[in-house]
Amino acid sequence: MGKRRVPDVDLLDLIDAVQSVADGMLFGTTYALLGIGFTLVFGVMHKINLSYAAASIGAAYASLLILAGVKAPAPVVFLMAAVAGGVIGAVVYLVAFKFIPLANPLATLMSTVGLLLLIDEIIVHATAGVPLNYPALFSDVLIRMGPFSLRGDLMFVFLLGCLCMAGLLYLLYRTRLGLATRAVSQQPVAAQLCGIGITNVNVQTFVITGVVGGIAGAMTGAAIGMLSPLLSLPLTVKGLIVTVIGGLGSIPGAIVAGLLVGGLENAFQFLRGVSERDLYIMLLLFAFLVFRPGGIFATAPGRE
Amino acid sequence: MDFYLGLIQIIGVHTLIGLSAYCVLLTGQVSLAQAGFFAIGAYVAGMLTVLWSWPLIPALAMAALAGGVVACAVGFPALRVKGLMLVVATLAFGEAVRLFFFNFTYQMARGEIRIGPHGGEGFKQIRYFPENGWTTFDVVIFIWVVVVLVMAALWWMDRSRTGAVLRAVGEDELAAQSIGINITAVKVSAMTIGGVIAGLGGGIFAHYTTHIEHVQFGVVLATFAIAYPILGGLSNVFGTLIAVIFIQGFLIEGLRFMGDWRNLLFGGLILLAMNVRPRGLLDAGTTLALKRLIDRARSGVARMKERTSA
Amino acid sequence: MLSRYAALAASVAAIATFALATPASAQERTVKITGFGAKSGVVRVFGINSEAALKAAAEEINKAGGVTLGDGSKAKFVIEFLDDRCNAEEGISVVRRIASSDAFVAVGPTCSNVAESLFGILQKKVGDASDTGLQFPIIADVAAKGGLAKISEWAFRNVPSEFEMYKSLFAWLKTQHPTLKTIYGGVEKDFAHSNATYNVMKDQAGLNGFQVLGTAEWLLNDTTFSTQVRDMKRAGADIVAISAHPFTTCGVLKEMERQGVKPKLLIGLTSSSSIETLQGCAKQAEGIIIPTSFAPVTSEAKKAADDVAKFGGSADLHSAAAYEIMFILKDVIEQQKIMGKADTVAADRVKMREGLAALKETKGLLGKVGRTADREAIKPFLYVHAKDGSWQVLFKPAS
Repeated sequence: MGKRRVPDVDLLDLIDAVQSVADGMLFGTTYALLGIGFTLVFGVMHKINLSYAAASIGAAYASLLILAGVKAPAPVVFLMAAVAGGVIGAVVYLVAFKFIPLANPLATLMSTVGLLLLIDEIIVHATAGVPLNYPALFSDVLIRMGPFSLRGDLMFVFLLGCLCMAGLLYLLYRTRLGLATRAVSQQPVAAQLCGIGITNVNVQTFVITGVVGGIAGAMTGAAIGMLSPLLSLPLTVKGLIVTVIGGLGSIPGAIVAGLLVGGLENAFQFLRGVSERDLYIMLLLFAFLVFRPGGIFATAPGRE
Repeated sequence: MDFYLGLIQIIGVHTLIGLSAYCVLLTGQVSLAQAGFFAIGAYVAGMLTVLWSWPLIPALAMAALAGGVVACAVGFPALRVKGLMLVVATLAFGEAVRLFFFNFTYQMARGEIRIGPHGGEGFKQIRYFPENGWTTFDVVIFIWVVVVLVMAALWWMDRSRTGAVLRAVGEDELAAQSIGINITAVKVSAMTIGGVIAGLGGGIFAHYTTHIEHVQFGVVLATFAIAYPILGGLSNVFGTLIAVIFIQGFLIEGLRFMGDWRNLLFGGLILLAMNVRPRGLLDAGTTLALKRLIDRARSGVARMKERTSA
Repeated sequence: MLSRYAALAASVAAIATFALATPASAQERTVKITGFGAKSGVVRVFGINSEAALKAAAEEINKAGGVTLGDGSKAKFVIEFLDDRCNAEEGISVVRRIASSDAFVAVGPTCSNVAESLFGILQKKVGDASDTGLQFPIIADVAAKGGLAKISEWAFRNVPSEFEMYKSLFAWLKTQHPTLKTIYGGVEKDFAHSNATYNVMKDQAGLNGFQVLGTAEWLLNDTTFSTQVRDMKRAGADIVAISAHPFTTCGVLKEMERQGVKPKLLIGLTSSSSIETLQGCAKQAEGIIIPTSFAPVTSEAKKAADDVAKFGGSADLHSAAAYEIMFILKDVIEQQKIMGKADTVAADRVKMREGLAALKETKGLLGKVGRTADREAIKPFLYVHAKDGSWQVLFKPAS
């Protein structure tokens, strides 16, 4: 029951369509959260870190494994995921970026690919590839508005996303660390001349993006209800899509793009069924990149 | 023996897909679409030999042509963007191709069974090799003749002005443009050549696995395609070959004795390799050192000949 | 003086007994059976279970004296397991590796797509000199997509027939629940096994008088099912049949709980009758009925389950097939008088193939297993349902 022909549309179908898109947009908040981290990594720090989504899911797994015997409440698990994310972020920097000269972006691309494979395998070895249950907040809350209903847990994720966005924007534009980060990513030599310790700043920024990633991983696990190693590759692809549509480096763009991608996914699925859904997303993305490469909220073009 | 021959087959085909990404990487662009062109080559060659009983070489030629045509068509819009945008654009295109084949069904009745691509189930029974009496050794020779020809063509191109132009665009687009190089033409040409090679590789792939399906042509294959040239080094074609031997021969088959640890080491060793040799296993420095070694050996042999003849 | 001679005599005696004892232990022969399958990625658990089952069965056989070879000597089974990462190229490479050794049979693969490619490189018809395909018998324990053994006469399988199981299940359900009339399906479209099984489910439901109101579709990686479940809700069918693996099955069941979709009966895919489903969504999966060819209901089955657990795996319909295969191999080796020596390899492979093809029935953990002309198995089965966090037998149909 996937394809609809337009002449057959009636009120019920219309309501279903709107509900579908709304559901999709709400689920897109998880993409938005992941996109915020991605856009920070790619857009602000100008580093291609393909292991980011895997590290985020890895942080969520870590939170489960650390709290293995303990029956901890959901917020504690999420906090643990954030902490684990930060630690993993620092490790990612040390292992995949620190020792590779800046002039070799291809090498860091490949090193993060190696890290992605490694993290995936660690997860598979630790869990035998079996999906694990993930706790959620407000999972049984359903907000009803007339014939429509909205998932409470996803609204919480949306709020969390907005909080993260506000926090990160404050961090980037109102603190010394943010200033240092932007300086290091734009002009590393000049930044060093100004006395900014590159390694320190880089570690700190990776830790922060790692924390955001950990939260994103936890929220994704909570929204689905389970974690599985199946998630890392599709989330990497979705994260890249959201980053690019939202505009590299634009944090509000990442949120809007996340919601957009989520909503469009469901819209295409409603109209053409699941087999063709992703095909249209990919074609749309391709067209978007070609005609509007700057993204929705294109930031000022710098030197690529 | 059969095992080593099979492994050499795999190394050959993977070298082809690696070389297809190498061409595009020379111009400084990272393309994750090579798996898509590979898929197109696989389905085209498979359909030609199975459904319409074409002989192998014309089928492969068509596969290469199809790969090249699609690459050219994609290249024009895609290469207007750079860097991460191009990575995502080519990834999106590659995925679109895979999803197309996920939905693609074209079957013909052959007796009581139906043959041909069947959507999600894939395209099975592409048995040209066993049905026409090709032994494993025959297939190895065939694949490697193709690979050697492609490598020779690329090597020659590298030594000629074309190679210099490609690398110039790769090094500094602004400088290249200012001396009158048409960047778009160069990048699209590189993409097209890459598409031809990938289509060829895909056509051979379909025949030695006898069954192809959309899952095989996803992000993982696209990533392997760029991994080979990056890991191997972009200074010459042998880097890609060495990287394929390293990954397929050593990491996948050689480390089998480590059992479960093999998969963990796979990612770990790639990570290590990039840290230790960021310009690739066979980077410019190593190539130069090797050249000097070969020259010294040659002059040493020449001197010895002089002494013995004198 | 005497003590020195005594010591010398004692040591000579010791050496003599030792020397006499060694030839006896040199008679200890081994036959290596290599299994292969997926030990990476999300399907890693299948490889772990298969390996454990092969080792458990081998230990059972070895404890009972081992297998008797063609020359009358007894040999112990040694198991090796290779990882093909659910990748067709690697699967072919692994089998070529096994075929380059003295092995005369291989057990595997896990993934149906690997089996498709792998069986495709085998010689199609025995004795066809123009076909240069590999001549090596392979017997599959897990790869479950329908009709794979037909691809080559060297390919055999010990997997249950989804067709028979769901045919029987829907007929039985019709007698048990005569008031239920409608059914809504759910399928993982991009996975060959679930897709093929769904077609069987749909057909059999229709043939037994149930009206199929529609199908919800999703992909293996999908994480959100609200659109599909809403369609399901609107249809309001009595029965919901889900042909998907644990990850998406649990996802759909959780969404159904969220939207308040409560069908009177839930039916699942054979592969989902495993611990994974219960670990992921025991509460939501309560009551789901799945036909399976293994449950610890006979004494042999219970013992096998314990033994497999000892080797770090868990016994389910897939690994139980691997367990049974070891006994099938033992029987064929003894019937065909396979020599198992380095110079008899080619002959042994032909004998193994002949032996496997000639089998009319084999020993299964739940009873006798029939064999078809197409080299497939007809396995006894029963229905289990998820109750209180474990799989319990619902009904055992008479074979």
